[in-house]
Amino acid sequence: MKNNFPIFQNNTDLVYLDSAATGLKPASVILSEMDYYAKYSANIHRGLYQISQTASEEYDKSREIIADFINAKPNEIIFTSGTTASINLVAQSWGYQNIKSSDEIVITQMEHHSNLVPWQQLAKSKKAKLKYIPVTSDFLLDLKSLSKLITPKTKIVALTHVSNVLGVINPIKEIIKTIKNINSQTLVLVDGAQSVAHFPVDVTDLGVDFYAFSGHKLYGPTGIGVLYVNQKIYSSMTPTIFGGGAITEVFWDKTVFDNPPFCYEPGTPPIAQAVALGQAIKFIQKIGWDKITRHEKDLANYLLDKLSNFSEIKILGPKKSDHRLGVVSFAFDNPKLPAPHDIGDIVSQKFNVAVRTGFHCAMPLHQLFGFNTGTTRASLGLYNTQKDIDKLVESLNYAIKIFS
Amino acid sequence: MDDLYKEIILDRYKNPNNLGTIKGGVQVEEVNALCGDKIKIWLQVKNGIIADAKFEGSGCAISVAATDILMDMIKGKKITDVQQMSGAEIEAEIGIELSSVRKRCAYIGLEAIKKIKDSLNNL
Repeated sequence: MKNNFPIFQNNTDLVYLDSAATGLKPASVILSEMDYYAKYSANIHRGLYQISQTASEEYDKSREIIADFINAKPNEIIFTSGTTASINLVAQSWGYQNIKSSDEIVITQMEHHSNLVPWQQLAKSKKAKLKYIPVTSDFLLDLKSLSKLITPKTKIVALTHVSNVLGVINPIKEIIKTIKNINSQTLVLVDGAQSVAHFPVDVTDLGVDFYAFSGHKLYGPTGIGVLYVNQKIYSSMTPTIFGGGAITEVFWDKTVFDNPPFCYEPGTPPIAQAVALGQAIKFIQKIGWDKITRHEKDLANYLLDKLSNFSEIKILGPKKSDHRLGVVSFAFDNPKLPAPHDIGDIVSQKFNVAVRTGFHCAMPLHQLFGFNTGTTRASLGLYNTQKDIDKLVESLNYAIKIFS
Repeated sequence: MDDLYKEIILDRYKNPNNLGTIKGGVQVEEVNALCGDKIKIWLQVKNGIIADAKFEGSGCAISVAATDILMDMIKGKKITDVQQMSGAEIEAEIGIELSSVRKRCAYIGLEAIKKIKDSLNNL
């Protein structure tokens, strides 16, 4: 599998365990971007000349591939710059005109800052109430709390599909059902940044209203992301960023906006990135979900086992691989042993092992469980092997040795 | 690499010389959210001179050790001079060249002291 990823040819001993931060790129994705720049790098939906038409067709085709990938319609796919931009788009385009004072926004204690801060700021400016679904001591969402938290005032619930720290997969379908049973008018946004690269997502089956994800965590390019919007919701949204390509008619005193999704994509979009994201999805589909999920589950088990063997390691998240992914955050439960930041440095410099250290953009969650100096996080992608995990273990043992 | 965690860093991390608080001292705090370092510093300043310096904190070995070393460096110095210090002086004292990411850990104590402004005139 590593043969498909040129980065391993250029960094032969790289042990990459940071796929939750960004996925590495297969050759087909890189070539697809290059193809655009080398063969048809024209603007889209503008020129009548051949290469502009090719660019438009490839861009539109990618939207279809993405729609098919998550079982949506192409006009329900808005291209953005990433998950963060997707969530902010909802907070701005939907939130600012639908949230009023005393309304309630519900999120969870396991959100990444990018699915927390936009709602916190929206609530602040509208004098709305922001409520949190708690995380239990088992690191799961406290679903019993929903019956109290969701009220007639709840306008939106925003939650992550998979925690980027705990690795936990939330039962989204069941949660949405419960929410809509209590208040059928409540909308649900799901942050899919950590999910779409690891298991199939069907937005129709989930019954979700908004679904946000990034291209780069899906083995695609940086700078491109997706916001799925259930087309029924479009009528309650309005563009907040204006420019060319998003309008049908402009007069001195008024503008007629194009239909969604185009009215939310003003200006020249990241064309090469959008096209290459389609290729990233094709890459995943070619391997197949069965193979990917089985491989990653086996590896997650192996990783959890190996880390559990360290007597002084505390895992921030469930120890069993049921309902969780291979995103494992941990820290030494002994102040004499290296802090996460030291571990990250030591394992990288001595063993070329890439892990993430710190709070992983989820500071309140770390503090909730007493991990005040953060954690080290090892996260898996489809290219990882048991050997990578063995190398991590070897490097952790080395870090311990230095400090004792 | 082994250089980075040479004796002076590990020693100061495990057994800092200047751990503690100063009653009535100037207190200042700095965090490095990137890695989870959090340092609190207390300075006893008389006539503009730092008479004593102590700190408490949690974080990586580099941030704790470098702050401990910094406390030794600044005692007896004018606080206004200390605020003009560069991070390179700390690096020179430790004797290690740090990567750009680790510089932030090593400089955390100095960054904290540079934040002392309002009360300077009264010290």
